[in-house]
Amino acid sequence: MTDQTPIQNSMKSGTWKKSSCKMCIHSCNTVVHVTDDGVINKIEGDPDSPANMGRLCPKGNAAIMRHYDPTRFKTPLKRTNPEKGPGIDPMWVPISWEEAMETTVRELKTSIDEDPRKLLPSIADFQKLYLWAWPLVVGNSNYFSTAGSFCGGGYHPMNGFIHSTFAAANDVNYCNYWINNGSGDGFSSHLHTAAQAFHVANARVERNMRVVCVEPRLSIGGAKAEEWVPIKPASDRHFALGLCHVLIEEGLCDYEALRNDTNAPYLVGEDGYFIRDSENKIYVWDGKDNKAKAYDDKSIGEFAIEGSYEVGGKPCKPSFQRFKDILAECTPEQMSEITTVPADTIRRIAREFSEAADIGNTINIDGRTLPLRPAGYNYYRGAHAHKYSTQSNHAFKLVNMLVGSIDMPGGHVGATLDDQKVDNGHVAEGDSGQLLGTPHQLGPHPGFSFPPDNMDLMSYFPLGVHPGHLNVEVWKNPEKFSLDFEPDVMLICHSNPIWSLPGKREDWFDIMRSMRFIVAIDIVPNDTNAFADIILPGHDSLESWNMTMIEPPHTEGMCLRQPMTDPLYDTRSEEDIFNDISEGLGLLEVWNSVLNIVNGFEESPNLKLELDQKHSDKELARRKGLNWNGKDLDWYIEHGHAVTPRRTDKWYKPWDGMRLHFYIEDIIRERDGLKKAMDNAEVPIRNEWHWDDYQPLPTPVLEPVLKDNGEYDLYAITFKDIQLNFGESLSNPWIKDIVYRDPVHTALQLNTKTAAAKGLEHGDLVLVESPYGKIYGRLGLTEGIHPETIGVSNSLSRMMSQNAGVPYGGGHFNDMLPADLENTDACSGQCESVCRVKLTKLDEIPDELKGDGSLYAYSDGKAAQ
Amino acid sequence: MTSYGMVFDVKRCIGCNACTVACKQENSLPDGVFFTRTLSAETGEFPNVSRTYLPTICNHCEDAPCEKVCPSGATYTRDDGIVMVDGALCIGCGSCAVACPYDMRTQIDETQLTNGLFGDGNLTPFEEQGYSRFECGTFTKCDFCSERVDAGKDPACVATCPTDARVFGDLDNPDSKVSRLIRDRMGRQPLAEKNTRPKVFYID
Amino acid sequence: MANMSLKNTLRPGFVGRTFKSGYRFQRYWDTPMATAFFCGETGAGLFIVSMLVNFLPGIMLGLLITGVGKTFFHLSHMGVPSRAWRAILRPDRSWISRGLWGIIFFVGFGVIHVFGQLFAIVPEAFVMPVYWLSMAGAMMVVVYQGFAMSHSTAISLWSTGLMPVSSMLYGLLAGTTLVMALNAFGFAVADENQLALVGTVQIGLVVAVFLTIFSLLHGAKNGSKGAQQSYELLTKDFLSRAFIYGVIGIGTILPLLILMFAPVNFITTIAAAGSIMVGFCLFRVVIFKAGVMDPILTPADIFGR
Repeated sequence: MTDQTPIQNSMKSGTWKKSSCKMCIHSCNTVVHVTDDGVINKIEGDPDSPANMGRLCPKGNAAIMRHYDPTRFKTPLKRTNPEKGPGIDPMWVPISWEEAMETTVRELKTSIDEDPRKLLPSIADFQKLYLWAWPLVVGNSNYFSTAGSFCGGGYHPMNGFIHSTFAAANDVNYCNYWINNGSGDGFSSHLHTAAQAFHVANARVERNMRVVCVEPRLSIGGAKAEEWVPIKPASDRHFALGLCHVLIEEGLCDYEALRNDTNAPYLVGEDGYFIRDSENKIYVWDGKDNKAKAYDDKSIGEFAIEGSYEVGGKPCKPSFQRFKDILAECTPEQMSEITTVPADTIRRIAREFSEAADIGNTINIDGRTLPLRPAGYNYYRGAHAHKYSTQSNHAFKLVNMLVGSIDMPGGHVGATLDDQKVDNGHVAEGDSGQLLGTPHQLGPHPGFSFPPDNMDLMSYFPLGVHPGHLNVEVWKNPEKFSLDFEPDVMLICHSNPIWSLPGKREDWFDIMRSMRFIVAIDIVPNDTNAFADIILPGHDSLESWNMTMIEPPHTEGMCLRQPMTDPLYDTRSEEDIFNDISEGLGLLEVWNSVLNIVNGFEESPNLKLELDQKHSDKELARRKGLNWNGKDLDWYIEHGHAVTPRRTDKWYKPWDGMRLHFYIEDIIRERDGLKKAMDNAEVPIRNEWHWDDYQPLPTPVLEPVLKDNGEYDLYAITFKDIQLNFGESLSNPWIKDIVYRDPVHTALQLNTKTAAAKGLEHGDLVLVESPYGKIYGRLGLTEGIHPETIGVSNSLSRMMSQNAGVPYGGGHFNDMLPADLENTDACSGQCESVCRVKLTKLDEIPDELKGDGSLYAYSDGKAAQ
Repeated sequence: MTSYGMVFDVKRCIGCNACTVACKQENSLPDGVFFTRTLSAETGEFPNVSRTYLPTICNHCEDAPCEKVCPSGATYTRDDGIVMVDGALCIGCGSCAVACPYDMRTQIDETQLTNGLFGDGNLTPFEEQGYSRFECGTFTKCDFCSERVDAGKDPACVATCPTDARVFGDLDNPDSKVSRLIRDRMGRQPLAEKNTRPKVFYID
Repeated sequence: MANMSLKNTLRPGFVGRTFKSGYRFQRYWDTPMATAFFCGETGAGLFIVSMLVNFLPGIMLGLLITGVGKTFFHLSHMGVPSRAWRAILRPDRSWISRGLWGIIFFVGFGVIHVFGQLFAIVPEAFVMPVYWLSMAGAMMVVVYQGFAMSHSTAISLWSTGLMPVSSMLYGLLAGTTLVMALNAFGFAVADENQLALVGTVQIGLVVAVFLTIFSLLHGAKNGSKGAQQSYELLTKDFLSRAFIYGVIGIGTILPLLILMFAPVNFITTIAAAGSIMVGFCLFRVVIFKAGVMDPILTPADIFGR
């Protein structure tokens, strides 16, 4: 070498500082290298973190390119082009912070003074969940984003019912048989990808953990699995019910657990409610004494879980029997017809699953003897995000519950979102010895209101997560939905709803165009903030403070984010911005009260925010750290995080002595409560409401999308891989450099034989049409996809936008999805994520794909490079 | 003697290319330049189909064809077996690139160093602090992060790999993890028939 | 307007620079390098043949083609031309280095030889050493490129002893052809018998080249998978026209027919020469373009699946 100074970035002279990643919603721990000249030139995983153990995913490795992105918003901006639309230049001009804040406060105040409901907030920074609560300050419960529409309208409430947690994962510490249904957990996406992938790979290689992947497309998980089970999209619940049928028919369940640790023996009347005694205690049937007794009667000889009984003249059955009755119509043969999975495969997997669960075996962990159930059925969006999401979620949980693996070592375990305090427990006893169901994991339900106070109709979803996609149908039909206010201002904070919401883009554009004023707090230009009138530029994750814990499955504890450099530009923290807006509206004290509640400072008097002061991102981080473990900020600056493995008393069977919800009576109760409220208020749409979506046990009802739809002979699904996990990826040159070289992400995936039958070839340009919308694209043929499915990588759903760095595709997958009540789970608010489509071969390049900025031209360039 | 090599555990690799990006980060690689990349290969017919992820990198061959054909002496092998390119000596003839069966040589062209990663003709501060190691027209490749290795650290791709699919170590030490993995799990070399004696092994 | 074609630009089985396992074209040596090789072999071949028949116009033109043409195209190909001299440093292992030494000997002593012929400035004792040193250099130049290619284990099509053989045969064929052409243009070769001999050798070389190409194809067809891909490209795919009609048809069969059956006159000589040179030039380009690298790995190769 002629030059002695190091050429590798991590070896150059500089300093390493600890922090946490924010390239997805989770928070892997990092170490960041800053050169003596103040340039951030290397980010690595923190080797001292028990979570990601020094590892980072490709996105985490690419954070520097976000920081130095030349398209970042550098000052507050004001639009000068009144015309708003995709790809239309807003013609930003820089303005001062004073002018920007003055305009923002004035415009927000105008609408809020008139009617606080006129504000549409879209606040979606998952690492600063307390910001989501800001609309409460003005008494607003609108929601203009996607949390309930996609990630888990049905998922989170069901986790709340079953585990009293936000998320759930298979316990990789002991699991030996891992069913992975429509989920990237442990392989390519969702929960702490780099961390989970590490643990799962170890289990597979060192313990020979068997992975069975049930999904329409051979994903990364499917590629690594011992067995890939291709399944017709939207039929996952039927696969699970087929497993349940076999487990029960062949006596493969953990009956001891069902009798003692669940409400499977609780007697259910014909109206769906439990049968109760005068003290409101739920009855069970004592098989020994052959009579009904209160669930906690010490004299019970044997909890009956099967049979039909009569108590006080009311016919009733144990809830287990109710499920067994449903399963009579769920034979593997019947389920095979729906799922296309061979009946023999369903039977075999059920047997293998039960055998792997090793029912009866126990393990001693930290002084507790626990059932060892090394078999877990894990699932996520691909499996549950359908019209009957609640039922699907419940069916998957019941597969686990039947073999006794819920929250057991090796089984399917609940993972809390953010415990706030190291000693906080997350479970409580509810009605009649049952675990208290906590379906509202992201905050309390706003309550019923008529006319509805929220444009997404959240008032009508007592068990759901905000169904943001319904905003469009309600906005287009205000009379039908009795909407008595017209939203006209929007507050966006790190959110890109018109990219992520299902439904027609044009409709969403129209809502955006109808706003009198839009302010966006953001870092880089995107589809949604292109409609803003004012941009308030935020610090990025390498310039700001934060303290967070986001649903890490196997670890717990707060993770610090600290600034690595001074802000590159004239940017501010979200906290400063919201403080100033609150103050401008005269609501600073209310904002501080809200922050105290949502951050758990209310219970720690010494940490309570002073109501008349503005608290910076640093101060909030400091107090959240103190709240967790009593350590001050300097401790966190040195250690970076307080992450430890989940303590086993909180991780395994934290509900010891309580009973799990095998049967969810609350669903019936909430249904009837809503019905009554709607009747009293005479809500006009109450007769169209899908009351059947409220089921206390899952049924084999067919998803609407599965019903015959004539010419639409294929199912379209969309997917992400680890490079695209969560969002904000494809303006990043390093991510682009890997994504657009991967054949999975540069073409519509179609089965080779399906293509041959349709006379289509690899590379053909096609039009994909659903009953609701269309996209264009180029076909890539593969053997790794179900023959009735076309797979659309999320990388292809990019539109023309103000960010020229993002190559655009031939439309957006979500345009092909219905964003209406008809296709929404009336119980959870989850929308359908699969659609029926037909293909037409094109001879000419459609206008949407013309131009060098199209991702097909871009990826061809990459391929040729 | 030390002889550095790498083992790729194909059973572990999830094809995420975190390695690829970590390498770009560590080595300030311009757009389209890769010292390592993870490929995918689909085999079988529906429904009995699988996809294999195959990490690739410079094999640091013991009998390195790139070194043998290099007319300028730019390519050389260190005592620890790492095959190096001294960019200051490279004339950019491309002999190494056509000689490498693994396609692991890349020529740096003018536009890569001036267009910038964002393609707007400007360099980010990250690029400004990094591109001085490259000279337009010369060939470059992976050097197993030799500076990190000299400091006792793993190469950047190995350090970041979420699934431990990459293991780096001394092939001459029979007790090293790489040696044990090659022995216990029948490590195989890529394109062994080319007789380049690669120091990269694949296990399944 | 988009430059996107209706079809994916990649050929089946080929993966380009995507992250897929499969065949890749060598893309480092392209037309400028092929032209340099063409100039090198043509110039050296012409020089050798002309030296043997003591044909000064051929000797000078040969020096010019190699000394100027080859050098120009090499420098235009080279990443850092200012460092070109460094290529002399490793003759112990690199055929490129050896070739550069060959060029230096060939051009250096060749020019001295020419000056000696023209101005009689070379002392008598040095005439023969200069003659043979330049010839040795030219011999090296006419074969080293083939050796450089055959030493590329990466590209199976090239990795054969037929590469230096084809270099030498093509070089000498180009040499005899250009001597005949120059003669037709009035730069007469003094000795009629020698001219006739050159003509005969030319026909023999066309036949030899023809056979070499077929041997090359045969080897590729039965070689590694990458070589088989090269064979497909040359015979059935996008290179097949240039290869079958150009290299084989125009480059060997047509001139053979002319030389054997047409009356010898200016037009037929030039026609034969033109077609031979076109065929040779195409050969150089096509063989570069048909260079295919085997998949770095396939699951089948590595793990038998």
